[in-house]
Amino acid sequence: MTAPAPTPTGTGTPTATPGPTPGGTGQVPALQAGLAAEHAVIWGYGVVGAHAGDALLAQVRDADDAHRTLRDETVALVARYGGTPVATEPEYALPFPVTDRGSALRLAVHLEEGAAAAWRYAVAATDDVEVRRAALVALSDAAVRATRWRLALHATPATVPFPGD
Amino acid sequence: MVAVARRSVLIGGAVGAGLLAAGCTAAGPSSPAPTTPAPPDPLLAELADERRLIAGYDATIARHPALRARLTAVRDDHAAHAAALVTALGPAAPPSPAAPAATASPTASPGVAPSTGTESSGGGTRVPATPAAAVAVLRAAERAAASARGTVALTAPPDRARLLAGISASEASHVAVLA
Repeated sequence: MTAPAPTPTGTGTPTATPGPTPGGTGQVPALQAGLAAEHAVIWGYGVVGAHAGDALLAQVRDADDAHRTLRDETVALVARYGGTPVATEPEYALPFPVTDRGSALRLAVHLEEGAAAAWRYAVAATDDVEVRRAALVALSDAAVRATRWRLALHATPATVPFPGD
Repeated sequence: MVAVARRSVLIGGAVGAGLLAAGCTAAGPSSPAPTTPAPPDPLLAELADERRLIAGYDATIARHPALRARLTAVRDDHAAHAAALVTALGPAAPPSPAAPAATASPTASPGVAPSTGTESSGGGTRVPATPAAAVAVLRAAERAAASARGTVALTAPPDRARLLAGISASEASHVAVLA
């Protein structure tokens, strides 16, 4: 399933669609693709949290915390492999208006699908086993969270055969 | 999907290496004789496992029809996994088992074991008597499958790594819907 491709709204404003940015192969480009996605996801969860409602706040916070941890780990990995970690953008464009619980949950699904796409790209972009393992875990966690958000939305099916497609 | 490196069979990882090492000691000093059979394509085991999972879902749905709505979409994911593995294997793919889904009879195995929840190797899949226990068996199978696919992905060529990583992540998400 393909994550919906948003249209950038501002001039040069990156979208909150974390996805692979093919820029070569090797450990550093693979990790940078994941890191750029994590920056966008963390920004996006700020919007999700503002609209998801109190009942979902703990789940939003857990997801946000997990992505912040992953971001920090990825920054450290990029540095260890000799790269300069990509920085977050000051803001991102939303793929669709987020105004209520339903659209907030759909944004959460969208963010996790984008993270899955970036990390799945990273898996194939390097043959370094350590980086692949990190990317696999990140992909898997994103797929699980996307499924949990779909379950909260009562969206069917709640799973996809190839997360990150 | 990119069709490169399909023929380069990389046996990597601790499991494959261990199996090969064991085989070599048994066979004595290794001489690269031209008759040495090529190692089996590692995707074959993953395909066989996907087909076992599909059979497990079919048997569970047959035994507990009330679970159909919950399990069918997951079962369909596995059918997509199997189809993708067949494509990746190319001519090496074994034919699919005959008449897989609808005809899997709820009473296929004579003397249905009431409680074990283990798969019999003779073809019938034993399904626990209660829906909750049956789902627990599937959940454990999904966990094991996600782990197995992920392990093979670590050392596979890029296009196969991408495929196996996607399957592994899908199976991890199945655990969430079976919780």
